[in-house]
Amino acid sequence: MSETAHADAHDDHDHRPTGWRRWVYSTNHKDIGTMYLALAMIAAIVGTAASVVIRLELHEPGVQFITDFQFYNVLVTAHGFIMVFFVVMPALIGGFGNWFIPLMIGTPDMAFPRMNNISFWLLPAALILLVIAGLIDGGPGTGWTVYPPLANADYHPGMAVDFGILSLHLAGASSILGAINFISTIINMRAPGMTFHRMPLFIWAMLLTAILLLLAIPVLAGALTMLLTDRNFGTAFFDPAGGGDPLLWQHLFWFFGHPEVYIMIIPAFGVISEIVSTFSKKPIFGYLGMAYAMAAIGVVGFIVWAHHMYTVGFNVETRAYFTLATMVIAVPTGIKIFSWLATMWGGSIKFDTPMLFAMGFIFLFVVGGVTGVTLANAGADQAFHDTYFVVAHFHYVLSVAAIFAMYAGFYYWIGKMSGKQYPEGLARLQFWVTFIGVNILFFPQHFAGMAGMPRRIPDYPDAYAGWNMISSWGAYITAVGAILFFVVLWKTLTSKETVSANQWGTGANTLEWTVESPAPFHTHEQTPSISTQPAE
Amino acid sequence: MANEAAKTHPWHVPEPSPWPIIGTIAGFTMAVGGIWFMHDGPIYLFGVGVLILIYTFYGWWRQVIIEANTAGAHSEQVKVGLRYGFIFFIASEVMFFFAFFWAFFHSSLPILNNVAQVWPPEGIELIPASGVPLLNTLILLSSSATVTVAHHAIIDDNRKKAIRWTWITAILGAVFLFFQAEEYIDATFKLSDGIYPSTFYLATGFHGFHVFVGTCFLAVCAMRLQKGHFKPDHHIGFEAAAWYWHFVDVVWIFLFINVYIWGSSSFGHIAAG
Amino acid sequence: MQNSRRLIIGINSGVAFFFAAFAAFLASGANAAEPKPWQMNFQPAATPVMEKIIDFHNLLLTIQVGIVVLVLGLMLYIIIKFNSKSNPEPSKTTHNTALEVIWTVIPIVILIVLAVPSMKLLFFMDKAPNPEMTLKITGHQWYWSYEYPDNGGFEFDSNMVPDEEIKPGQRRLLEVDNQVVLPVNTEIRLLMTSEDVIHNWAIPSFGVKMDTVPGRTNESWIKVTKPGVYYGQCSELCGVNHGFMPVAVKVVSKEEFKKWTAKAKKEFANAKDAPVKVVEMNSPAQAKLR
Ligand code: HEA
Ligand code: HEA
Ligand code: CUA
Ligand SMILES: [Cu+2]
Repeated sequence: MSETAHADAHDDHDHRPTGWRRWVYSTNHKDIGTMYLALAMIAAIVGTAASVVIRLELHEPGVQFITDFQFYNVLVTAHGFIMVFFVVMPALIGGFGNWFIPLMIGTPDMAFPRMNNISFWLLPAALILLVIAGLIDGGPGTGWTVYPPLANADYHPGMAVDFGILSLHLAGASSILGAINFISTIINMRAPGMTFHRMPLFIWAMLLTAILLLLAIPVLAGALTMLLTDRNFGTAFFDPAGGGDPLLWQHLFWFFGHPEVYIMIIPAFGVISEIVSTFSKKPIFGYLGMAYAMAAIGVVGFIVWAHHMYTVGFNVETRAYFTLATMVIAVPTGIKIFSWLATMWGGSIKFDTPMLFAMGFIFLFVVGGVTGVTLANAGADQAFHDTYFVVAHFHYVLSVAAIFAMYAGFYYWIGKMSGKQYPEGLARLQFWVTFIGVNILFFPQHFAGMAGMPRRIPDYPDAYAGWNMISSWGAYITAVGAILFFVVLWKTLTSKETVSANQWGTGANTLEWTVESPAPFHTHEQTPSISTQPAE
Repeated sequence: MANEAAKTHPWHVPEPSPWPIIGTIAGFTMAVGGIWFMHDGPIYLFGVGVLILIYTFYGWWRQVIIEANTAGAHSEQVKVGLRYGFIFFIASEVMFFFAFFWAFFHSSLPILNNVAQVWPPEGIELIPASGVPLLNTLILLSSSATVTVAHHAIIDDNRKKAIRWTWITAILGAVFLFFQAEEYIDATFKLSDGIYPSTFYLATGFHGFHVFVGTCFLAVCAMRLQKGHFKPDHHIGFEAAAWYWHFVDVVWIFLFINVYIWGSSSFGHIAAG
Repeated sequence: MQNSRRLIIGINSGVAFFFAAFAAFLASGANAAEPKPWQMNFQPAATPVMEKIIDFHNLLLTIQVGIVVLVLGLMLYIIIKFNSKSNPEPSKTTHNTALEVIWTVIPIVILIVLAVPSMKLLFFMDKAPNPEMTLKITGHQWYWSYEYPDNGGFEFDSNMVPDEEIKPGQRRLLEVDNQVVLPVNTEIRLLMTSEDVIHNWAIPSFGVKMDTVPGRTNESWIKVTKPGVYYGQCSELCGVNHGFMPVAVKVVSKEEFKKWTAKAKKEFANAKDAPVKVVEMNSPAQAKLR
């Protein structure tokens, strides 16, 4: 069996390996991208299941069925980690990035295809470690922020937190290698004529995301290593008894953590820009402003980390600085929002599913963004910190905006990836169910937060019952939306209806639409050349 | 190779490869084995992971070397890409050390943590910067020079000279490691003696590990030179080793100035006020 | 197209939901020192700090609703005017420098308008102008302990009343066995630390929320203007029972407070032999204290 596969691999002119080797040994950016997307979907099932269990427990005051509160904390931790590291990042960066960077810049593959493969495979390994972490020694009940001393050996003596740390180490290694690959590819392998100022905005987004990853993830790796030695080898980085300081962890974590949230949203910006331009049948408005706005968000994102630490006891000058620096980010983000609106302005817009999700993204991201500005004010944050208002804020930008961008990108590109037409009616239904669901789910959390409800609690004072009940119902609706998504996926992949090379028509003018659908195993064997910028 | 013939672009798309998944298995085994060891288990599972990792490095880079010696695989454009890749790798390493320097300054500068404490903490018997650390500084600085000599020799197609100076560089690296081991053995404070040893050992220890990796890298380059792998216009592997070596050198200078000189001097006391 | 009509109808109901929600957001405001069912807004302020937070947030909210409504309005206009049916020929505009300058400058102006009161609030809440007494707060897994250093130095622990012992009329998860008693209209300095992990001492209606970090003493302050009982909860994940270490403060007149301290000194006398181990540090407040 292996013999034939091997022989095939060499005889086939198209050079397409077969069987399990095609996937496990892959050096093909499309196959690797597909594996990333599949992993994201599998992880999404786990992460969504965890969130629904959380909402079921919070459906009413009192203990519903989680009698072990450590288990509740573990669920919240696992939910946060899985959604961030194993759903959004693999889908938007690993999945869409791998598929469409080479296609859009006109090159046959990534710079380091073998390294690309290990970037992928490290993720399932990391996910397995994370699952083990949740199952042994009571699990890591630390929250995704893993603050010591709670995460120290004194308060989490078992192996659970160590498994969590090693899981993040592997996921981090995956991200760093992926980032090196993305940057090298984008800088070095663009088709002749595609200058930086002619790259599609999705490519800009991927380049900037990779740079953020390259600079932020190693700091997390260093911090995790310190936590590991604190736990197991008696160092005292975060232990006041030995002269260390728990706040050092928070600095290091958020120096990574804040850029991390932009690592999740900048790829989404890229996807949305492509879609808005395609469906408006107009080039993107203010192309350079859009590109440099993302760059500005990335740069400023590195100097605002302590806005997550307003209540740790900083002196007032520090809080004042971080307030002002954080507010600055609203300006480049506003440029993006208004440029999207201006792109649509005067357009001839078709409201297919990708565009519905893109418009949903723009509106709801603004809702989540302005609450971010509320939190940015250290004075006001004293009322909001660690309440459900924060939970509402970050789900509007993550579970709503980033997930909408994933769905949008999926519907936009599934024809290119599979050659099949997704069922438009059902897909629109999926949009509306999800749109309504997430708003019912997360909007009331603002109210609960303002009324004072803290995060990360398995039971709450009875007064908070009303909004929590509504929020839980929203979660169930959103979960139905996710199930519908899998139905659409199934129907698409089994559909007989195929799509043409450029299914979206004149608005879609990036290079991936010049190759046939599904994109053949090898593309751009003849190098294309580019003479205009997307805005021209 | 069938597909190489058909391509019209300058890029190198390697055959499907088993090494990434083997490397992943190595990482996974090391993670599980490491945790087991840290929780009072035996170390052998971790050891197995390390062996698989070494096997991966061997097999993977052997493949890369074969490609490098195959005409056409490493075109000019691919070489540029390899250089970019390595530079970004070093950038990520810089950020890794950034975390440890942050830990060091956070703990030693009251202005960063708002808790006045004495640095270096009382009861710590310091390692005088003028002894072994200064010696090691001189060793690493001169090794930076020797690696440059070797590099120029390659460019001048003077293989003998290149081999000699590359080995000298690698040996200087090994000598550095020897002295650092001495320093650790002679130190009166243990890793678990509080924040000073924590920052000291992790920062210098990770640096030492990088010196070790760089030394191996240089030794491999020396052997490849002996086999005649490097050409005046095609020696990416050597270039990477040299860059890596300079990076290790720069990190050391920061360590020497901050951790050894500033962090152990009365400056520290004054700053702690 | 029929599609866009369907879309508009859908979006309209979404809008209705938001407007209803925002309107309620602004209008609500029950009067109590505890959360009320269906409450959408802050708990009523009991300190000048919280009053200022609420004022500032009203400004924030107004501007933000404006921004959200503006974006929504533009989108609705776009949906109606620029769908492929009503506008078959797309325009080719991709630049308009004046417009780009405007949407850069206006947000900057808005942010400056926000930054000024934001900074005022921040600097106001930072330090008590003239503290008249000090309360030491220590977080433990999973209860609080309190010490009155300048009212006799007694100290006591404050544990949550478990569900089984809740009496009718009491608030589940918020009641404690020993409430903190404090005088009204008095500037009180709060010094906080922790014995184990990080906790956070928070009372919404006081506008106080401060981490208790082992190895540090953090400082905050309150001046409660109305007598009453005020509730809050630990606001930093601290382990299994993080959700079950509430804060309850009873604010009484100054005379009553005197009487209470006299009584409490005796009641908690035993505890005095084992004083709270507040880790000593050179925080200015602590130095003054010694
Ligand atoms: C994709 C993820 C993402 C994104 C994009 C953002 C975006 C922003 N976030 Fe958010 N944030 C998170 C994810 C994200 N955040 C997460 C996960 C947490 C919690 C972590 C944890 O504790 O577990 C968090 C927490 C968090 C906090 C800490 C709260 C606390 O714990 O007390 C703060 C405080 O400053 C903050 C601020 C901001 C700001 C100012 C932005 C800005 O980038 C938003 C900018 C956007 C706009 C402002 C809207 C569009 C602009 C206009 C239409 C122009 C006009 C507008 C104005 C003039 C205001 N965020
Ligand atoms: C991207 C990140 C992300 C996402 C998507 C979500 C989604 C959801 N979250 Fe999550 N959440 C976090 C990140 C995220 N969350 C983080 C970081 C925390 C903080 C953890 C901590 O405190 O430590 C948190 C905490 C958190 C809490 C607070 C718990 C507490 O403090 O006690 C709650 C409670 O309601 C909650 C609920 C939900 C619900 C109901 C959803 C629902 O929206 C879920 C519905 C599912 C989807 C919408 C996704 C479907 C996706 C697919 C089907 C994939 C499709 C794939 C392709 C297109 C390729 N979350
Ligand atoms: Cu104490 Cu949470
Ligand atoms: Cu942030």
